[in-house]
Order: sequence, then C-alpha cells, then structure tokens
Amino acid sequence: MNFAHDNHIYFYGGIHPDDSKALSASEAIKDAPLLDKYTVIVGQNIGAPPKLLVKKGDTVKKGQKIAEPAGFVSVPLHSPTSGTVSALTDIVGVFGTMASAVEITPDGKDEFCELQKLDWETATPEQVLAKIADAGLVGMGGAAFPTAVKLSPPKTKKIDVLIINGAECEPYLTADYRLMIETPERVLRGAAIFAKVLGVKTIMVGVEANKPDAVEKLRNAGADKFGIEVKSLRVRYPQGAEKQLIYALTGRKVPAGGLPMDVGCVVQNVGTCAAAADAVCEGKPLIERVTTVTGSKVARPGNWRLRLGTPISKALELCGGCKDGVAKIVSGGPMMGLAQISLDTTIMKSSSGILVLGRDEVAQYANQPCIRCGKCVDTCPMELMPGPLSLYVENERFDLAEKEHAMDCMECGSCAFVCPSRRPLVQHFKRAKAEIGAMRKARAAGAAAKGGKG
Amino acid sequence: MMILYSILILAGLGLVLGLMIAWTAKMFAVEQDPRVEKVLSMLPGANCGGCGFAGCADFAKALAEGRAEVGGCPVSSKEAKGMIASFLGLAVSDSVRKVAVVLCGGSSSLARKAAEYNGISDCRSANLVAGGAKGCRYGCLGLASCARVCPVNAIEILDGLAIVHPELCIGCGKCVKACPRNLIKLVPENAHVHVFCSSRDKGADKKKVCDVPCIGCRKCVKAAGENEMLVEGFLVRTNYEKPPANDLPVRAGCPTNCLQSGFPLAYLKKQGGMPGEKEEKVA
Amino acid sequence: MGKDLLLITVGAILVNNFVLSKILGICPLLGVSKKLDTALGMSGAVIFVLTLATLVTSLFFKFALSPDSALAKATGFNFDFLQTIVFIVVIAGLVQIVEIIMQKKAPKIYSALGIYLPLITTNCAVLGAAVINAKEGRGVIESTIFGFCSAVGFALALVLFSSIREKLELARVPKAFQGTSIALITAGILAMAFMGFAGLVK
Repeated sequence: MNFAHDNHIYFYGGIHPDDSKALSASEAIKDAPLLDKYTVIVGQNIGAPPKLLVKKGDTVKKGQKIAEPAGFVSVPLHSPTSGTVSALTDIVGVFGTMASAVEITPDGKDEFCELQKLDWETATPEQVLAKIADAGLVGMGGAAFPTAVKLSPPKTKKIDVLIINGAECEPYLTADYRLMIETPERVLRGAAIFAKVLGVKTIMVGVEANKPDAVEKLRNAGADKFGIEVKSLRVRYPQGAEKQLIYALTGRKVPAGGLPMDVGCVVQNVGTCAAAADAVCEGKPLIERVTTVTGSKVARPGNWRLRLGTPISKALELCGGCKDGVAKIVSGGPMMGLAQISLDTTIMKSSSGILVLGRDEVAQYANQPCIRCGKCVDTCPMELMPGPLSLYVENERFDLAEKEHAMDCMECGSCAFVCPSRRPLVQHFKRAKAEIGAMRKARAAGAAAKGGKG
Repeated sequence: MMILYSILILAGLGLVLGLMIAWTAKMFAVEQDPRVEKVLSMLPGANCGGCGFAGCADFAKALAEGRAEVGGCPVSSKEAKGMIASFLGLAVSDSVRKVAVVLCGGSSSLARKAAEYNGISDCRSANLVAGGAKGCRYGCLGLASCARVCPVNAIEILDGLAIVHPELCIGCGKCVKACPRNLIKLVPENAHVHVFCSSRDKGADKKKVCDVPCIGCRKCVKAAGENEMLVEGFLVRTNYEKPPANDLPVRAGCPTNCLQSGFPLAYLKKQGGMPGEKEEKVA
Repeated sequence: MGKDLLLITVGAILVNNFVLSKILGICPLLGVSKKLDTALGMSGAVIFVLTLATLVTSLFFKFALSPDSALAKATGFNFDFLQTIVFIVVIAGLVQIVEIIMQKKAPKIYSALGIYLPLITTNCAVLGAAVINAKEGRGVIESTIFGFCSAVGFALALVLFSSIREKLELARVPKAFQGTSIALITAGILAMAFMGFAGLVK
C-alpha cells in the first residue's frame, strides 16, 4: 500500500516488510485483571540497576518506591500494586540471563500510595524534571534509557528540536498506535512537558503514514495549542530508529558514534510522553505500560495495559492462550525483538510487545556463505557494510570490525531481512559489539593503568 | 698470476669492508636491550618471516618487549622455545604440567534443552541469544568454540559436549578464554578426579535439566581425605592443590555419576566401560 | 638517452617485473606479505638497498671488473668472473654499514626500514639487478635507475599481493589450499595478469 506522506528527506536504505499490524490494530487497549503474583525485575533500565529499598515481608502500596536509583544513569522502581513482598528471587530475564526480581503478592485492594501532583504549567523546569526522574521513566520504545538523563543534556549541547517518535515501524506492534488514537491528549501533554524541561520551541511528532487516523487524532486533539507539528512519514523500516527519524524530519545527520544531542535533537517515544503526562499531572509513577500481544499463534491478539512484573505466560492467557504449533516467542517486535527462553520472564518498562510465531514463520535455514551481492550494503540504514563486517566477525577480526564501525550497528535487522544467503548477520554484529566493547574496556583499563603509573 | 691477483682483490676487499664495519660499529654503537641479542641467538635464524615479524631480530625484539609469544615462531624446536621462555621469565615456574578440563558432563543425551537454537554455530554467539538453548544455564553449549581455538586439536565434541584429551593438551589456556560459560579450567596433570558440573543452582533445579549434575550430597567429601574435596554452595569441587586418589569415584558412589576420574560419563559410556569399571581395571 | 631511460623505467616496473616475471625475490614476497604494513616497510627497504647496491656495484664494475676497466688495462687480465662474489661481498658489507649508521643517526627511518635491511642484503633480487646491469653493460646512471625502478616494481608486486592476502584471510579457502598454497596460486594468477604488460616494450 502507498500512503501520502509529508516528509521529503528519505534516510538511506531500509526495507518494507509486511507489517501484520491488522492482527491487533483494531483492538482497544484493555486493562488486565489483578494477578495473584507480580515478579518485578529490578534492573529494567540501561545503566546501573536500582538499589532495593524493601525486604521480604514488607508491605507496599501501589506506586510505592521499592528501589532507588544507584547512580546518575539509573531510575527508581515502584510497586505495581499494593500487597506484601513475598520473596526476593532470581528469574530468567529478557536477555536469557538471570535477573534479580522482587516478588509481590497483592492484597487485592490495589491501593495507591499518596500521589504528589504537579501543575506543570506553573512549576519550574527543574521541578518537572525531578518529578519525571522520581517516576522512574525510561524510554518505552524498547531501549529503556532513563528519560530524565535524556532530558538533561550537558550545557555545551544546545537542544532546539524535540522529536516525538510515533513511527512504530516495527511490524506487528500496535501499542503506540492505540495510545495515539485513544489518548492523543496525553501524548501531546507529555510532549509539551518535555519541551518545557528542555526549553525548546520546535516540537515534531513523526508518525508513519500507514497510521493516518493517528495523525488526524493528534492534530484534532489540539496539537496546535501546544505548538506541536504532527508529520506523517514515509512507510519504511526503520523509520522509527532515532537517527533515521531525526534525518527524515530535520535533515540533520547524527555523526557516526554520536548522539542525537550532537545535532540539537532529543527524541522521545509516544509511550514515554503518555507516561510523563501521568507522572507529572497525576503523580503516577511508571508501573504499567501498553503491550501488544500478537502473532499468528495467539488466539485473540490485543493491546493490554500490563503492570510491570506480569509474567509472559499470564499475558498470553489474557489473549486466550496460544494455538498449536508455536515455534518462537519474542519480546518486542519481529525485527529487533529478543527470542525468549522462558515464559516466566516478566513485563518490563521496555516491553513493547509479545509476539508468538509459528513454525512456518520462523527462519530455519543453514548458515550459507556470503555471495557478495551487496544487497545488505544497499539496505543498511546506518550505511555500514554488513557483508564484509560479518566476514570479519566469522574470522574473529574484531579489530577490522571496529575500524568499519561495527559499533554503529543498531541491530535493526534490515540486512538479515534482505540477505539471499540467509546469513545471521545481526547475531554476528551482536557478537562483534560485545567483543569490541570488551576490547575497548580493556584498552581503557590499560590506558588508566599506564596513566596511573606515569 | 691471475689467481694471485684475484685472491688479492678479494682479500683486500674483505679486509677493507671488515675494517669499515668494525669502525662504524664502534663509532655508531647503539645501546640495546641485552636480552634481545640472547633471544636472537636462541632463535633459529631462518629469517623466514613466518612469525609475522620482519625476521628473527625483529621477533626477538618483540619477544623481549612482550609484544609476541614464543609460540609464534613456527620453526624453532620445543626445547628452544622452552629455553627462550624460561630466559625471558615467561614460563610458569612450577614443574607440574597443566591441562585443561571441561567441568560439565551434560551431553545432549544427558542434559535437556530449553529451546531449539538455529543460529551461528559458535558458543559465544549462541550465548548472546537468550543465553543459549541449553536448559542448564551453566552447561556446555557444545558448539565447539573451544575446539576451534585449540592449536593441537585436543578437544573433541562428543554428543554436544566438549571433552579435553589431556594427553594431547599443551595447557595453553586458549580454550579457557574462548568458553563463554567459564567451564574450562587449567588443572595439574596429576589431578584426575573431577566433578563434571559447574552449576550453582540448587540440586533439585539441576536435576530438572540434567541427568548428571552435582547435587551437593557430599558423599565424595566424606569418602575423600581431608580438604581434598571442597564444598562451594550447592556444588562440590576438587581441591586441585591437593587432589584426591583416582579411585575416589568408586569409593564415593556418586549418585548422579557426576564425579568421575579422567573423563565425564558421556565419554566413558562411549568407550563401553560403565563408570567405575575403568578405574578398577587399571588398579 | 631519454628514450632509453624511459624504456628502462617501464620495462623494469611493469614488463620485466622482478617478482612476477623474473621470479626474483620470491622469499620476501611470500614471507613478508601477510600484512600491508609490513609489506610497505619491506618495499621501502628494498627500494633503498637496490638503488644503493646498483650504484656501488656498477661503479665497481666500471673501474675494476669490466674487460675495459682501469684495473683490467693495468694488469692485462679480465676479472669479470669475480662479478658475483665481489657484488655479494660489497652489497652485504655496504648494507651492514648503512644499517649501523642509520640506527644511530636516523632511528626513525631505522625503525621503519632498518629491520628489513638484513633480510634482503643477500636477496636474489638485489644481486640479480647488479648482474643484469653488468651483463647489459650499462653505465653508472642507467644502472642506478634500473635498480631503483626494479625495486619500485618489486614494491608494486608486494603491495598488491599483500592487499590480496589480507582479503584472502577472510575467504573460505578449502583446507588443502590454506596457507602458502593459496598464496602461491594467487601469486601465479597475479603473474599471469602482469604478462599482459609484455607487449608494452619490445
């Protein structure tokens, strides 16, 4: 399908996969009933995991802080409901490694603790920022980077554009879409709050053109009143990737290895905006999020407002369970999501979707050699050379991979999508990034040791 | 007459050049790391460039500065390498040879898988995808990353389990670094009894995913001499400083056959001998 | 004269490339071509030594060894049978001296080139250039230019070859061909490519 769109600058490469959003796009967001147990993973954000404040047997209120930030790049964590802390355990996390978690048994009352509201229009930006930090907000598009850190760039970087990411370019996912058409005013208010904190005048919301109703709803909900421009964007994966979105909306190119703030931009997800609106105007900390539970093997795909700590298995039960022939369960979207090894893993602040795929939808190919067709080079939105890079990794030449900017790979999966040899390119780059990260750390440690001696 | 002239010409040339070299060497002498000379004299002097350096002199310099490994020279003999290593103080001073051992016994038929893995056939890559497909998150992934880095082909992958053949192992430690699960340890050659399990989970949890885990029952600790077996949480370990006698597995009667002498259960089964029998035959 | 020099230049670099058509200096071609960096260092050293060696040996040839040299006239004997052995002694001694001086006076150049010098003092390419010069009866200037250009040809082949080998390292080579065998095959193909220059100079 072709949609009319507003932008005239296109990022390099990209792909156009079947979006499969119809499965859940028409399903309104529903509230999940209270479960008999929530297992909240402690380390949900990028950066340092927060420090626990509760111990076994403590009673907690809904929204009560159960962990406090441990460092600058860290966020607090709040209880999803009222009840008692029944255990401090380890569960399999979203990456397949063990993660420490707090098990909370609800008392059924679901009582909020005392909530501190803030009138954001009269409050100072510092007060608003503190409120956002205190609510434990992180980027809800999937990266889980602490929002408050993103909103406090160093003084040397001047920010003049705030971009709200409503592209939702990942196939299958509809959580952001439902949020935009059901509560557009929350999204806009959140955007305005962010703009106030940053002190910027230009606010743009980018929505992929395959969601024309979302664009319309946002415009009708008073975008002009807040001075927000709503733009529909060419439908192309990964339109919602930070650097690609900035380029499409402003024509500014984030330098290799740089951050959006290097070109005066800050990007926030629509889900984060809505959460910020709740956090500031109603004082509600981040304890639940909209997650799309979908896929051909889910009985009734839908969009659910799930509390943190809801096990994936329970989320699937809400949707009538799985059909026969499930081959893969993914947390996130099909392109960038992570395959799950356990259904005990729980919903986190960054869980945008749960995707259940059947045998015929899952790649079952042997790893073939690269035929050097160059399709991946045409496709990579970061303008890297995935084919040669994967050869470097196969030969364990991580020094060469680093030279060819393997660290700039954002693991969008476009290269693997087009590869005729079906090479597991993204997995190669994950390995490369892990190894290069370790190499850099060792180098930094070596330099520090030398510096210390000298 | 012509012969005499020829001899005179060459002799004169040689003398003049020799004197010139001697003079310049004196005049332009540069102080060098004296070790480089020594190391150079121990190298074969083939100047083949096989080490990746520009000849033996450059390689010797790199060795002295710690930029190269003695093993980098493909020509020199094992003894010569040993001499160089000991000269530069690179060699481990203790006389007991160290060999690698994979402390996991969960082969494909003995340990269960939690998922199907269909990615790159490399442990370190697989470990990045949901932590690998194995039910036990401490167990051997069996994708041969260690076997590929082994310079002497001492590691065999048997039924999805890496097994080190100690008689071939040179104790270089490359596999130790390659294993993403840190299952491989360098142990003294004379220690034969190993607990082929590295899982720190509770015994019951281990039992769910593996037939041959160490459940921490401490039978072996009681059967062994003092401090020969060490308890670490839910796991028992051989004290490699003071290894127990080779017949400990037979005496202890390990309920899961996790404690073995030499090789894990999967390998012994393949050899036809049931656990315990092998040691008796030897004795 | 000018035309002759041009012929020598093109001929030595491309047509009669030392490595790829005369098969001289194969040892460094295989030994020092694993990395582009080392190949560049080696090339520099070869250019230096060959130019110097051809200059000095052609002087020796002119004044002592050729049939109409001063020495031959004075003694009445022809000493050109001593060519090879004298050339080797002179080149080896000379390079040794230059190396020692360089190490002291120009440590930067030494660290870039010096380590390669002992490797090539008695390389067949160096002796070959001197002997070819003597055979062709070239004068001192022509000989030196020939030496320099041959070395540039050598450098060209070495740099090309090492770049290919760096890429080759990433390729999936069948087990039987891994290592030196695939390097030799590559060198052969490269030599065939250089045969294309054969028509350039008659």
